[in-house]
Amino acid sequence: MAESSVIGAGTIVSGHVRGDGSLEILGRVEGDVNVTGNVVIGASGRVRGSVSGAELTIAGHVQGDLRGTLAVLLESGARVAGDISSPRVGIAPGALARGHVQTDGEPAAVARPASAAARPAAAVARPDALRDLRRAAPAPAAPARLAPVAPARVAPARPNPPIQPSVAKVPARAETRAETRPEPRKPDAAKPAVAPPPAAAPPEPEFVPVRPLKVEPRRPPPPVVPVLGKGVKAKKKKSHD
Amino acid sequence: MAGTVIGEGLTIEGDISGDEEIVIHGNLRGRLTTSDAVTVGGTAVVGADITGASLSVAGQVTGDVTASERVDIQAGGKLVGDIKAARFTIADGASFKGNVDMEL
Repeated sequence: MAESSVIGAGTIVSGHVRGDGSLEILGRVEGDVNVTGNVVIGASGRVRGSVSGAELTIAGHVQGDLRGTLAVLLESGARVAGDISSPRVGIAPGALARGHVQTDGEPAAVARPASAAARPAAAVARPDALRDLRRAAPAPAAPARLAPVAPARVAPARPNPPIQPSVAKVPARAETRAETRPEPRKPDAAKPAVAPPPAAAPPEPEFVPVRPLKVEPRRPPPPVVPVLGKGVKAKKKKSHD
Repeated sequence: MAGTVIGEGLTIEGDISGDEEIVIHGNLRGRLTTSDAVTVGGTAVVGADITGASLSVAGQVTGDVTASERVDIQAGGKLVGDIKAARFTIADGASFKGNVDMEL
């Protein structure tokens, strides 16, 4: 079963190699290699075909795709022309690789995810980053969450008159209401910020912090492209001419 | 130490050629050519024509065999195919079916 196999330096295999156990290739294989165990391709090994196994250690030449369910390690002197995919990919100095490299599977297995598997890393980093953001600029997000504190902080920042009157001068409400029409909207804008987190919190706590930030950009975005009336360009052209 | 070992559980479909000893415990379908000794272990199943210096069979072999030196079928070994070898032995308990040519 787990018996290891060796294809010696003086041996050429033209055909497929598959099965259980580990395999060491010191000779040449022209065909696909597909084993459940580890594959070692020695410095004298030459493979033309795809290689898949648990952990692939390559010091020879491979012309074909490499797929390691655990790892793919290219050692010094290795030459690989083909795609590499494995949760862990190691390319030592002195190794040559040409092709697409994908580190899939577990995210933080290697420091490399920063580039290749950026998403998981970002997902992990997000909550912290947002917490920091909130600490740094608490005005929009944090007060909105702390309902009682919010009006006090938000109000002075934006419409000064509405809240003070509403608290101090009760009879003046009619006025303030008229003025504060925008004010009720703000709570509305803030409420969604408050509401979604509890709703979204149970399933995906990581995405909760994202919501409050997304609420702001929900307002109509500023037009990026200046609106030109029909025929304006043509007129311009004509005027140039 | 054997140059090439095909372990139990490993299957090769295709040709194997080389200039060193080959030991097979797994499966082989295709053709096997070497200038050195070939050993077919007890767990091996080989469906291939074999050419080598010598051949020792303890497993199952189906195919024609050409050996420049000798062919030995061990007890428990099974060989179906024609044999061309200078020396040829069949151990007690081995099975064999095919033609033999020892005129090398």
